[in-house]
Amino acid sequence: MQIVKNDSIRGFSMLGFLTRYMARLRIVVGLGVLLALSGQVFAHGERNQEPFLRMRTAHFYDMKWSTTAVAVNEDIVVTGKFRLFQDWPGNIPKPERVFLGNGTPGPVLARTESWINGVPAIQSGKLELDRDYEFKTVLKGRIPGRHHVHPMLNVEGAGPLLGPGNWLTVSGKWEDFKLPVTTVDGTKIDNLETYGVAQTIKVHAVWYVIALVYMLWWLRKPLLMTRFAAMEAGNEDLLVTRGDRLWGAAFLVGTLVVVVMWANWAEATYPRTVPLQGGEMLVDPLPLEKNPVKITVVRATYDVPGRSMKMNLSFTNNGDKPVQVGEFMTAGLRFVNHSVPAAMANVHPDFPKDLIPPSGLKVENNAPIAPGETRTMMVEATDAAWEVERLTSLLNDPDNRVGGLLFFFDSEGNRIIANVMGPIVPVFGKS
Amino acid sequence: MASNSQAEAVEIYGVKWSKWSAALSRRFDIIVAVILFLAVVSAFHLHFMLLAGDWDFWVDWKDRQFWVTLSPIVAIIFPGALHYVFWDKLRLPIGATFAVVCLIFGEWMNRKFGFHDWSYFPYSLIAPATFIPGAIVLDVALLLTGSMLATALTGAIAFAFLFYPANWAWLAAYHLPVEVMGSLVSVADYIGYAFTRTATPEYLRFIERGTLRTFGGHSAWVASAFSGFICMLMYIVWWYIGAFLGRVVTVPNKLKTMMGLKKDPKPAAVSI
Repeated sequence: MQIVKNDSIRGFSMLGFLTRYMARLRIVVGLGVLLALSGQVFAHGERNQEPFLRMRTAHFYDMKWSTTAVAVNEDIVVTGKFRLFQDWPGNIPKPERVFLGNGTPGPVLARTESWINGVPAIQSGKLELDRDYEFKTVLKGRIPGRHHVHPMLNVEGAGPLLGPGNWLTVSGKWEDFKLPVTTVDGTKIDNLETYGVAQTIKVHAVWYVIALVYMLWWLRKPLLMTRFAAMEAGNEDLLVTRGDRLWGAAFLVGTLVVVVMWANWAEATYPRTVPLQGGEMLVDPLPLEKNPVKITVVRATYDVPGRSMKMNLSFTNNGDKPVQVGEFMTAGLRFVNHSVPAAMANVHPDFPKDLIPPSGLKVENNAPIAPGETRTMMVEATDAAWEVERLTSLLNDPDNRVGGLLFFFDSEGNRIIANVMGPIVPVFGKS
Repeated sequence: MASNSQAEAVEIYGVKWSKWSAALSRRFDIIVAVILFLAVVSAFHLHFMLLAGDWDFWVDWKDRQFWVTLSPIVAIIFPGALHYVFWDKLRLPIGATFAVVCLIFGEWMNRKFGFHDWSYFPYSLIAPATFIPGAIVLDVALLLTGSMLATALTGAIAFAFLFYPANWAWLAAYHLPVEVMGSLVSVADYIGYAFTRTATPEYLRFIERGTLRTFGGHSAWVASAFSGFICMLMYIVWWYIGAFLGRVVTVPNKLKTMMGLKKDPKPAAVSI
C-alpha cells in the first residue's frame, strides 16, 4: 500500500524544499561562482599526455625562438633539433609516417615554412629511431593575443608528441593579416585567408536562391493537411498540375545549363589546375655523432612525496677527453647542472623558464670522468616540476621506464648527447 | 462570427473545407514548416558531419576521388527518406531540395560560429560543398516520372554526377598550382598547411593517391560514376526506410478526426 506523507497532502512547502536540497543548491551556486570567476583556459592538454609519451618518444633540444613577441604579419622563426628515442614505447606505432606540426590554440599563427634537415616538411614522411633531426618552422602572427605554442610531431597511430611550449605574443589587428602568394601561372593572391571566398559565397548564394524559388512555387499553395486530405480522397491529379510540371522541367533544364556553364567558366578561368598533392617527404637523419660515453642504469627511483628522481648510473668514458654531466632532459624539462658553465651557457635565454627547474641537477662526485674511467654516480633531479608537469603519473604507466637525454661537456665546451633509459621504481619515503 | 466562417466552405484540391479549417490548416503549415526546417537542419547536419566530416570541412580534403565518391552517397540519405514522405503523402516534389537547403544552412551556421568565430579558421579553408543542383534535378525527376524507381535511375545518378561540376565553379580557384619551399602544391594544400589544425595533421587526409588512371586521368568522373551507382541504391533503400519510419511515427486518424476529417481506412501503400 502506498503511504502518503502529510506534508505532501498539505501542499508544497518552499522552506522544506530548500532545506531538503540545500546541499545540492550549494554545489550548483558554488559551481556557478567558479564558472563566473574562472578565466580563459590557455593550455591545450600537453600535460595530460602520459609520461611515457613525453619521456620516451621525441626529445626536443637546442630550441630557439627568434622572438617571442611580434605584430600581426611578422615572423617568428622556431628552430631546434629532436631525437626520436631509442627506447620507443612498444605500445605505440613506430614513426613510419610523421608530420612536423605545431601545437597551437587554433590557427593563431600562420605556418609559412617548415623544414626537417633542409627538406620541405609540407607533407609527412618516415623518420628513424635513435636519430637526430634538425627542424625550422616559420610562423606568422595572425590572431592578436598571448598564445602557448609547441613544436610538435604528429606520428600516425601515436598522435601528437609535443615539444616544449613557449608563450608567444601577437599584437595588432586580425583584420590586417595578409598571407600573399603568387601561383605558378603568375596569378597574384593578396591574401590566402580571403582568397576565393567571394566566389564561394556567390556560388552558394545563387544556388540557395534558386532552391528557394523552386520551393516557393510549392510552398505558396496550401501545404500539409490539405494536400494530405486530397491524397486520401484520391485527388492526387489535382495536386500536381501541368503548370507544376512545366515549372519543374524549366528548373531541370535551367539547373543543367547553369551547372555546365559555370563549370566551363571555371575551366576557362583556371585552365591550369593541379590535384591535391599527397606525396611523402623523404628525409635523411643527421649524421651520427660520436658518442664515447656508455651509460648503464644501475637503479632508478622516483621518490613520490619528495618529487625527486634519483638515478644510480654507471658511466664509462671511451673518449679521449674528460667529460662532466651537464644536463638531464626529459619531457621538455631541463635539469641543468649549475656547476658546469658550459651546460648553463647551453640554455637559450628565451627558453621557457617553467621548464628549467631552479634546483637543477645534482651530481654526486661531480669531477670530470677521465678517459677510460668507469664510475658509478648518483644523479638527482628534484623539483615540483615533476608534479606540475604531471609526470608523476608514470607510476600508472603499463611500462614503468624512464627515458631522457644526458648532456656531457668536455673542458672545451664540446657537447656529447647520450640516451639514458631503464626501469624506474617508485618509493614512498626513504629510497 | 466563428460559426459563420465555419459554415462557409471552400474547396481545396477537390476537398471541401470550412473557411475556418482552411485558415487553421495554413497556420499549421507554417508552424510545421518552421519546426521541420529546424529539425532537418540539426539532424541532417549532424548526420553529414559524422559521415562526411573532414571531406566537407576542409578545402584540402576536397579531392577528385574520395570526396567526390563519398559526399553524394552520404548526402542522398535524407532526400531519399524525405522524398517518400513528401511525395507519397503530400505529392510535394521538394523533399531533396528542402533537405539540402536545411543542410547547407546548418553548415554555414556551423562554419561561421564554430569554425571561424570560435576557432579562427578562415572561410577559404572551411567552405562546405553545395548539393542544390543535384537536389533540384532529383526532385524534378520525381515530379516528372512520379516513380521512385525511375527517379533512382535518373535523378539519383544525376545527384552524384552534378556534384563535382557544380562545386568546381568555386573550387577550381583553390587548385591553382603554387610553389612552396621548392615543392609544387595546390593553393588548397597550402591553405591547409598554413592555417594549422593541431589535431588534423597532413597524413590524416584521405585524398586521391593517383590510382584512377583508366580514363585518361579523369578521376572525378570515374568517382562520380561509382558514386552515382551507389546513390541509386541508397536512394531506394532510404525511400523504404522513410516509408517505414513514416508508418511508425504518424498517427493520421487521430489528427484527422480532430480536424473534422474522415478516418483513414487503411495505411497508404508505398508507390513505386
